[in-house]
Amino acid sequence: MRLPKFEYRQPESMKEACEILLDEPSARVLAGGTDLLVNMKHRVETPTTVVNLKGVAGQSYVRKDNGALRIGALTPLKHVYRDPFVAEKLPALAAAASSVGSYHHQTMGTIGGNLCQQTRCKYFNQSKWWRSSRPLCFKAGGDLCHVAKKERVCYSTYCGDVAPALLVLDAEVVLSAKDGSRQVPLESMYSGEGKMPLQIERGEILTEVVIPASSANAFSTYKKFANRGSIDFPIVGAAFWTSTATGQSRIALTAVDRKPVRARQLEEFMRGKPLGQDCLEAVDGLVTKEARLMKSSIDSLSFKRKLMGLLVKESIKEAMGGR
Amino acid sequence: MKHGIELSVNGDLYEVLVAPNQTLLEVLRDKLGLMGTKRGCDVGACGACTVLLDGEAYLSCVMLAMDAVGKKIVTIEGLAENGTLHPLQDSFVRLGGLQCGFCTPGIIMTAKAVLDEEPHPTEASLKKKMAGNLCRCTGYTKVIEAVMDVAKRTGGQD
Amino acid sequence: MEKEFSVVGQRLPMVDAAAKVTGAAQFTDDLVFPGMLYGKILRSPLPHAKILNVDVSKAARLPGVKGVVTGAEIPDRQYGIVPKARDEYALAKGKVRYIGDEVAAVCAIDPEIAEEAIDLIEVDYEELPAVFDPLDAIKEGAPIIHEGVANNTSFAIRKEFGDVEKAFSESYLVSEDRFYSQAVNHAPMEPHAAVAQYDPIRGEMVLWSSTQIPFFLRRNLSATLKIPESSVRVIKPKVGGGFGQKIDMFAKDFCAAWFAMKTGRPVKFVYERDEVFIATRQRHPMYLTVKTGMSKDGMILAQQFLAHADGGAYNSTAPTMMALSCFFLMVPYRVPNLLYEGYHVYTNKPVGGAMRGHGIPQARFAVERQLDMMAERLNLDPADVRFKNSIKAGEPHPGGFVINTCGFADSVQEAAKAIGWREKRGKLPFGRGVGLGGASFPSGVTNMSHISSGAVVQVGRDGAVNVLSGAADIGQGAETVIAQIVAEELGVPYEAVRVTAADTGITPLDPGTFGSGVTVRAGNAARIAAQSVKKKLFECIADELEANPEDLVARDGKIFVTGSPDISIPFGQAIKTYQYKDLPMPLVGRASWMADTKEPTTLFNEPGNFSPNYSFMTQAAEVEVDTTTGKVKVLKMVTAHDCGRPINPMLVEGQLEGSIAGGMGQALYENVIVENGQVMNPSFLDYGFPTALEVPEMETIDIETDDPVGPFGAKEAGEGTQLSPAPAIVNAIYDAIGVNFNELPVTPEKILKALQEKKQAESS
Repeated sequence: MRLPKFEYRQPESMKEACEILLDEPSARVLAGGTDLLVNMKHRVETPTTVVNLKGVAGQSYVRKDNGALRIGALTPLKHVYRDPFVAEKLPALAAAASSVGSYHHQTMGTIGGNLCQQTRCKYFNQSKWWRSSRPLCFKAGGDLCHVAKKERVCYSTYCGDVAPALLVLDAEVVLSAKDGSRQVPLESMYSGEGKMPLQIERGEILTEVVIPASSANAFSTYKKFANRGSIDFPIVGAAFWTSTATGQSRIALTAVDRKPVRARQLEEFMRGKPLGQDCLEAVDGLVTKEARLMKSSIDSLSFKRKLMGLLVKESIKEAMGGR
Repeated sequence: MKHGIELSVNGDLYEVLVAPNQTLLEVLRDKLGLMGTKRGCDVGACGACTVLLDGEAYLSCVMLAMDAVGKKIVTIEGLAENGTLHPLQDSFVRLGGLQCGFCTPGIIMTAKAVLDEEPHPTEASLKKKMAGNLCRCTGYTKVIEAVMDVAKRTGGQD
Repeated sequence: MEKEFSVVGQRLPMVDAAAKVTGAAQFTDDLVFPGMLYGKILRSPLPHAKILNVDVSKAARLPGVKGVVTGAEIPDRQYGIVPKARDEYALAKGKVRYIGDEVAAVCAIDPEIAEEAIDLIEVDYEELPAVFDPLDAIKEGAPIIHEGVANNTSFAIRKEFGDVEKAFSESYLVSEDRFYSQAVNHAPMEPHAAVAQYDPIRGEMVLWSSTQIPFFLRRNLSATLKIPESSVRVIKPKVGGGFGQKIDMFAKDFCAAWFAMKTGRPVKFVYERDEVFIATRQRHPMYLTVKTGMSKDGMILAQQFLAHADGGAYNSTAPTMMALSCFFLMVPYRVPNLLYEGYHVYTNKPVGGAMRGHGIPQARFAVERQLDMMAERLNLDPADVRFKNSIKAGEPHPGGFVINTCGFADSVQEAAKAIGWREKRGKLPFGRGVGLGGASFPSGVTNMSHISSGAVVQVGRDGAVNVLSGAADIGQGAETVIAQIVAEELGVPYEAVRVTAADTGITPLDPGTFGSGVTVRAGNAARIAAQSVKKKLFECIADELEANPEDLVARDGKIFVTGSPDISIPFGQAIKTYQYKDLPMPLVGRASWMADTKEPTTLFNEPGNFSPNYSFMTQAAEVEVDTTTGKVKVLKMVTAHDCGRPINPMLVEGQLEGSIAGGMGQALYENVIVENGQVMNPSFLDYGFPTALEVPEMETIDIETDDPVGPFGAKEAGEGTQLSPAPAIVNAIYDAIGVNFNELPVTPEKILKALQEKKQAESS
């Protein structure tokens, strides 16, 4: 499978990169490449221009800044989970980053790229010939969603491992543009639309992840269920963070909707309660409330639903044991 | 438009004319004739195309050739020195860590990256890092044995 | 004690290991020729349709395109691996029968242009109703996939001996159970490829192909291109795994040859990974109902089988597959009364073909599972039931097989012992369990008349040995084994033997890597050829040693008189003597070898021997079921294995270990999922066969027998061990959680569901 033709740009600054994106509406940025290039080979993404960000110096770092942790968007996942602070104080992030794909993907893939990963669907992540058996799907440029069997919707699923971990760590992201940048909660970066899963303005690039100091001194974990111990995307992934100090818990899931989702009703139920039987019993009923599961993968929905509860309960139990 | 680039492969500098949409794998095989690097799935899910970039294991089928400029690329052809097999290569031969040999170059390159950063891995750590290299023949047992054998022999510890 | 052999039985590295670890080994896609063109195939997006029109004009006009061909232009010649089951065109004529069926092909100056050209071909289809399940396809009124094949049943076979009904009536326990095995893809790491070059003056075609049977490919190419077999030369470069998937000819072979003829330039085709998954071959999904009658003490009195194999759109190996599936129910247990009915049914799906075990894994799964279920009902130990039902060497076999050596009973005991059966079975904590599976496999399967192997052994002036063999090494080490056999026979070092293999223009006829027959067939041919060399040499030098030629022995680089190793001549010296006596050089020995066995499909009506010999094995699994997530971890797999005398124990272990990973995939991970005829997971990512993290600890126990037919006592080792891992694992799951799974694969989802149901049943 050859890549489609495109113009290649390798800017030396983020500003220059943003300018290219403004000039070229269908340009896409390239970081690790393990997601974008596969989609391009499948012809589900065919940007006119590919903007390689790796020529921009100084975008790979993990550093402390007034208690907060700042991670450059181009930091390879391997460097993220090997950072001693991440490994020790932010186990959810370490676990998530080290569960992405295979070791190769963790070497090549960046934290920014992972967060901006395309949504996935069994009708979308296929070769051009394979897809020719049915009308072009909405996400690939047609009208119909084969999952929903409806027009002009897309139920592809967000399957990134790192996003749920960062959601429970209350992370924010820096979106840089030509003339400045803004820092927004990571959650707001996800649109919930399968077709355009990222809520990023034209000309903006995710450049940094910021994790507040308050997230570090608490329990956190990420649990992934996949068929194999490597390579695979999660069938379901769940991140859990809980603080004894505040009585607060945060729960986020991946591979269950068009975006990574917080299980807020469950969080609300758990607020102020000691972790225990009460909370565990509430999980199955509440954890699926915010997720809109659709049959966009070969895995069954009832199994996914079961896994959501299982992974969260396992996380809570682990937190209970850890106290 | 094609671009004239310089690639450092196995210690040699090659000037090549490449199109932006050519992957590193395609350029290694089709332009430089380095056929040892294999195309197993073409989408980064099998590890057969693994090469070293500045010492780290990269999937050359999901990497643009243009993106490899300035990096030190090492392929399976660059491992043996002066006709002497690299200890990993020797170990795979002696211990039967291969059958059809199609995944072998990628497996050995990954093993090299792993041992270079972690000379004495536990078997669990080694398996985790090698798990991105699929093999359909060996059941992995002798593959892992071959790598562990090198780790033991080169470290002087058992 | 002096060891019996010097080279045979040694853990020697493969002859081509160094080439493989340095990247020097050349696979088909590594071959490049000046002026080479690149081909690409257009495949059907529909499961069943008439082809009304194919417009290639835009594709043909694309600059850089050098050829376009459609089914309408190629000769009206169907092909297939089994002569009496030919039903396939290299490019579809008039009708497509599954998503992936070949419609047209192009060749161009580079692969990118070829890909573009494919997109420019316009095809008008008239969609036809399609059918996706064999049990639907056999119904009256189902869509007809091949004209003239009623009920889509291309082969119906029946085998009977004894009196099943009578035996059932005399049985203490009769159990009838239904089983299902899923579609499994071989997923060799090397995608299928071919390169063709044509000499227009001599009319000669040379094809390099990732094939398991060069000689059969030559035959199919000759037939479909309508050129004489003598004008086709098939060369097998290194092949990156096959497992049965590279037995057949494919469109890439035909189209490369076709375009080479039409353009006069070399042409290469390489399949994409999704083409390998969808448009080559897969293990047949199979429904199997098994009815077994047992005595109170667990002796099998009768078995009755009803099998429906989902063949997909074409036959491929259909009759052979069904025959194997049937006949290997007669080993390793003694079945005195048997009735088998099997149907090979077309569906509008990917094509079933030979896959490691070839029809037997499905049947073995059913039998081994049912045996455990019945043992439990009889309150017997499944290991004992296996042991006491074992066939024995030299006993008359109910189906007429000739079993000269059989280590099965021993293998049951050894495997059970090594896994800790007595201490563990039924005694481990909930979630943990052990299970057994037994199996037997033939050393070679006759595919119509295509069964003999030839070999030529030449010794040059410097004493170096070259073997010409048609055996197709696809990674299993066929050339290594042949080199060891010849080295042992001539008493020369392994390193002195070079094997030139698998080039139909140079090497003698061979049925290729098919039915696990290489070691016995090609090995015997090579050994006899070496013996012929040795005989000539001994006759020449007997005088010098003052002995009779019959009393000489070649061993460890020397020729000496039996019993007097001191009276010897170095091998190299002997060759010099041969030359100085003006005897003709090179010293050559030739042989052809053929098993004294029956063609499988003739055995339906009469008893007879299937294979020159039979391997036997028991595998024992220990598993841990995570009752929270439903995940199964295979902790350990023991294989107690009778493959006669292993020529190279390291390679035998490699075969076992690979088949454990494969069998584990079949049991737990792998399934070609099809939605309305479309494969939903045609990628390594979504298909998900096991990685290094999933495979268990493996232990091999060699139950050595000395088979009189195999070379140096060897039997097959490549396929048999793929049969028993899946039932061993699923039997162990039963021991762990008390749930019987009779459908594969056993996924975490199924386990959780079953555990839930079990809990509900227990509480109510």
